[in-house]
Amino acid sequence: ALSAGSRLLRGRGGHVVIRFALGGCTNRPFFRIVAANSRRARDGKYLEQLGCLDPLPNAHGEKVAGLNLERLRYWLGCGAQLSRPAEKLLGLAGFLPLHPMTVTGAERLRRRRQREQQPQAAPADGSAEPGTGT
Amino acid sequence: MAALGARGTAALPVRLRALWALPARRALAADAGEGKAAQPKPAFTDEAVQTLLYKMTGLDLHKVFRPEKKGLKPPHYKLMTEAQLEEATRKAIEEAKTKLIMPPVLNEREPIDDVLAEDKVLEGTETAKYVFTDLSYSIPHRERFIVVREPNGVLRKATWEERDRMIQIFFPKEGRRVVPPTLFKDENLGTVFQQDRHEDVLNMCIAQFEPDSPDYIRVHHRTYEDIEKHGKYDLLRSTRHFGGMVWYLLSRKKTDGLLIDMINRDLLDDATSLITLYHMLHPECQSAKEAKEQKLQGVDLIKVFVKTESQREGYIQLALQAYEEAMATSSAS
Repeated sequence: ALSAGSRLLRGRGGHVVIRFALGGCTNRPFFRIVAANSRRARDGKYLEQLGCLDPLPNAHGEKVAGLNLERLRYWLGCGAQLSRPAEKLLGLAGFLPLHPMTVTGAERLRRRRQREQQPQAAPADGSAEPGTGT
Repeated sequence: MAALGARGTAALPVRLRALWALPARRALAADAGEGKAAQPKPAFTDEAVQTLLYKMTGLDLHKVFRPEKKGLKPPHYKLMTEAQLEEATRKAIEEAKTKLIMPPVLNEREPIDDVLAEDKVLEGTETAKYVFTDLSYSIPHRERFIVVREPNGVLRKATWEERDRMIQIFFPKEGRRVVPPTLFKDENLGTVFQQDRHEDVLNMCIAQFEPDSPDYIRVHHRTYEDIEKHGKYDLLRSTRHFGGMVWYLLSRKKTDGLLIDMINRDLLDDATSLITLYHMLHPECQSAKEAKEQKLQGVDLIKVFVKTESQREGYIQLALQAYEEAMATSSAS
């Protein structure tokens, strides 16, 4: 990995990130929460695995996630960055405060649903009134 | 064996403490409800109680070390002198003692009901709940953080069933399955009891459930009830479950069948230990007071107990008579 023009050559930058590495099969994703050099491939060699996340709900309706908080704290103490999905997941877990984009995303979703409901309600009212009127 | 908790650690004998892997000083909220360690009532873990129960369990080496189904190997013969044989028997007895250590008898655990955060903003964003488990290696399982983020935004601690499932997924224990086998459902237990496999059921139950879970307690009580109904006490004799069964029967005062069984098998010492335990557990009953006043021993103790406390007086009197006749004939001949 250390040829002359290699991305990983030292002396040019790169930092530790805690992010998701995708694994699994077709139509069956599985994420490993991983501390790796930022310039590595997404699924490539990592420094340490800190947990896992199964995005599909199991038989009990749960999405199972495991987090090795002790090692997570170590890497954060070493100055690791977090990717946005990792930050959101840790916010959901309660380890970090809720990510602002989670809140924003929730509000946007709610507004979109309201807007979808109103046009349905308005034509429904509009079509019902002449019916009741006559 | 799972961790017991803060109560009664000091009262336990050393071998029990080491084997049940008790943590040094953990105070679980549930322990406040386990009043058995309180002064008036003797607990399952008291030294005196444990000695009596252990004596009653018996030590039949042939049953403890009976062949288990393992891989097929030709038998291994050794030529020994008398001294070596004694030494080997002694070591076997030591091993049998460790095999006969009784599993803990605890009260049912209190359900966990703790909300850590409520975020109403998250309502409607997710369809399934997230279960987060702390995978740090050096934490005891009882103190692990397992939290659930519900679809309505509430972040709460996981229930005991969720906890057991998650811990089995990430830290699998041998003999335990993530979803408990259907054997432990009430309707299926009857079938197994008809095949006289109570001991196997109890061993599987110990492997699968935590000692303070409601399922563990339910299966154990069901087994003991069935044994008591059919009088199959000998199935559990010389196993580690005998003490628990005796404790269960004593707390519910259903000792008659067991007493008759012991007298029929000429185990008078066990019968007296049983009645001593009964008096320790229920000191306010009449026979206990009489026994303490007159300091009765042996057969007299049993007779007083039979007169005052038992329901099946007739049967016990018959059994005692038969025993005394047998003693008379054997001492005469």
